[in-house]
Amino acid sequence: MVLIALFVVAVAAAWWATHRQPPGVGDTIVVYSTKTDGTTLLPWRVSLGSARDRSSVAFYAATQCVAGPPPSVEAVRFPPGTHVRTVDVEGTTADVDLSREVDASAAGGFAEAAEFKALVWTLTQPQLGIDAVRVRIDGARVATLPGGHLELDEPLTRASF
Amino acid sequence: MNRSLARRSDRAFAALACLSLVLGPLAARGQEHASPLWFQGTRLILSRAVPLDGDLAVPTRDPGMRHFLERLGASVSYDPQQRYVVVTSEDRRSIVFTVGDPSYAVGGVRARAPFAPQADGDDVDLPFFTLARALYVEPLDDGGETVLQPRIGALDVRADGPHTSVTVTGAMPLVTDGQHDSPERLQLAFVGQGSALGPLRNALGPAVSAIDVAVGGTARVPITTLTLAGAPGSTHRVFPGPAPDTLIIVFDSAPTGAVAAARTPPTPPPPAEVGAVSTDLTPPPSAEPGPTAAPPIVAGRATVTDLEIAPGADDALTVQVTLSGAVPYTWHRLPDHRWYIDFANATLTGPGREEHPSFGAVQSVRVAQIGGDDAPAVRIAFTMSGDQQIDLTPSASGLTIAVGTAPNTDLPRAGGGQTGGVPLVASSVMPGPEPTPSAPSGPGSRIIVIDPGHGGDDHGTEHNGLSEKQITLDIADRLRALLLAQGWTVRMTRETDVDPVSAANLTRMRADGIPNPTDRAYLQTRCDVANDVNARLFISIHVNSAPIPSARGTTVYWYKPQDLPFAQAIEKSVIPAAQTQDDGTRHENFYVIRHTTMPAVLIETAFITNLDDVALLRQPAFLQRLAQGIANGVKAYAGSPAANTVSQQQ
Repeated sequence: MVLIALFVVAVAAAWWATHRQPPGVGDTIVVYSTKTDGTTLLPWRVSLGSARDRSSVAFYAATQCVAGPPPSVEAVRFPPGTHVRTVDVEGTTADVDLSREVDASAAGGFAEAAEFKALVWTLTQPQLGIDAVRVRIDGARVATLPGGHLELDEPLTRASF
Repeated sequence: MNRSLARRSDRAFAALACLSLVLGPLAARGQEHASPLWFQGTRLILSRAVPLDGDLAVPTRDPGMRHFLERLGASVSYDPQQRYVVVTSEDRRSIVFTVGDPSYAVGGVRARAPFAPQADGDDVDLPFFTLARALYVEPLDDGGETVLQPRIGALDVRADGPHTSVTVTGAMPLVTDGQHDSPERLQLAFVGQGSALGPLRNALGPAVSAIDVAVGGTARVPITTLTLAGAPGSTHRVFPGPAPDTLIIVFDSAPTGAVAAARTPPTPPPPAEVGAVSTDLTPPPSAEPGPTAAPPIVAGRATVTDLEIAPGADDALTVQVTLSGAVPYTWHRLPDHRWYIDFANATLTGPGREEHPSFGAVQSVRVAQIGGDDAPAVRIAFTMSGDQQIDLTPSASGLTIAVGTAPNTDLPRAGGGQTGGVPLVASSVMPGPEPTPSAPSGPGSRIIVIDPGHGGDDHGTEHNGLSEKQITLDIADRLRALLLAQGWTVRMTRETDVDPVSAANLTRMRADGIPNPTDRAYLQTRCDVANDVNARLFISIHVNSAPIPSARGTTVYWYKPQDLPFAQAIEKSVIPAAQTQDDGTRHENFYVIRHTTMPAVLIETAFITNLDDVALLRQPAFLQRLAQGIANGVKAYAGSPAANTVSQQQ
């Protein structure tokens, strides 16, 4: 009897741990991209699946930001093939690991700033409780992308842009 | 049966029941049969696939799955710590699965898969056929085998005034067997792709009256024929889309009954580099260089006319390189006893070669042509038995490389110089700037540091036949002359095509010793050039790049509050001088302006991805105007040392 009770408690705890919602997360979440002027943000909403825990929602938001808005919308986009490897959320900081393809945007300050501004604004929307974003490329911490513009080895916040 | 036996048999039954609950679905998986899969003419092996509920459960890291997604240009984002699995197609549609939930979404539209994705260690099983269909690939039975047929999946028709644009999206890069058209009718046959579209679609807008889709061929080699009928008097053009699997067709209706002249399409034409679609498409008008376009900037080139490998004094090995002209070079020493030197803007007269000398400490010498036509270079690489000292001696005819025999330690890791008798900084690291004792520091300093972006192995952005590292150095040279004339002492973070890495920072470099902008030391070196002499101003010169061909103009970036007035002064002067689009001053967290201690700006002079800006960047007169504009901005912000001295005396 005691074992059954413990089992039920464990299942409930596991369910709570994986399904708890951060305050304010509804059925949709805002994703930002940057318009073709390189600075103006373009927000749009995407529907969430059944997973609503903060970490999963942050991961999902980051993947949608990197994928960009629907093809018909003009925006500065991450280079083709760029994808999110992991997102670790600890406290108020999200650590985002992007795939190596993002290096292709490293040729000019315009694209770097526009892409990472969108990513930071997406992940720091209030309902996620994230203030700062750290970036890794293919698992490694880098000072900048190969273009040598935006500093990436320190946390980025909305004030960085 | 006594009570104890009955209790034991109950437990055994319960255990068996639990076991069957766990193993039952797995056993059922194995009982289903999967027919061989064919994709793009070859067998697709999904080695870890398990048939399940009419679909296939396949881990995302199954080699066959990876090959399949790679061919489609799709990527997978999955973090075992999270519950979402996001597959992004080449045309940027998201297919979103949730671990433990059979519902999934394609481009925001929800549907239900036969089974829920399940985490499997650090991977996740996805419903393969469901995913394939979302990527416009249809599994078809063909004689007991399953053919994965790529299809035209979407036809987006939009009307905008007199224009109608039709965007075709396929599973794979769109290949046509040629187009058959008249002014009012266009027929395109896409070979190798079927169609998920209906046979007939009503068109929108005034320019297209009908669109017909017909599918022929076989399951393995389908052909989809798309026929668009334009309105009377209309004309049409075809562009590559933003992704290789998309194509844009624009019909323009006739303005007054006559055949319309070519006009700007409602959808902005894609960049020239996008033209990866394998069709005989007419390129967009804007992809053509303007009438003012000049050949790409090419610095003076030299040819390696002779290369002699011979024994030297004390069993050293010498390589005598003879060049037809003076060229810059850079060299690097790697941790695994390899060393190489690159002669920029140089070509070999014959093929490369590899030799294994029978003397000295060099095990092999390789000579090769590297780089493209627009930036050729000759590389000579040594593999040695240890870290031997290498001395470089320039001469009027080229360069002599002497490799000693005794291993040494604490040898420099990189350097550079110029052949052809020009004073050389070789066999030692590029020195950092020495402070000028007589130069006042801080606000009263006469020193301005110019930072030509990139250099050496770091080419910066390269498009349309132009290389950023060459343009930034060209502008910097012009700016230096103008600032010297104003009375400033000018230092450059690099004066040739080299990586400006200081000796102090080399020790903090990566293990491979190759300078890389992603290393903090690489960029810090540029900052240190200015910080170490407490320069008055720091100016970093770059050329911008964007994935959007319409982006153009000049931007002056600043970070620290003290940078802003300087940035505004530069912007105010450079725009009228260069006559580029004013993109303003922008606050960005760029490394070199953040980690310099004096007022600093980073100028993105123009876009190498915009054809109008490219036409300007090819003109030396434009580069001179840019330099003049920057120099005017410096004078407006800080005056000139000569004037300041006069005013102080007064």
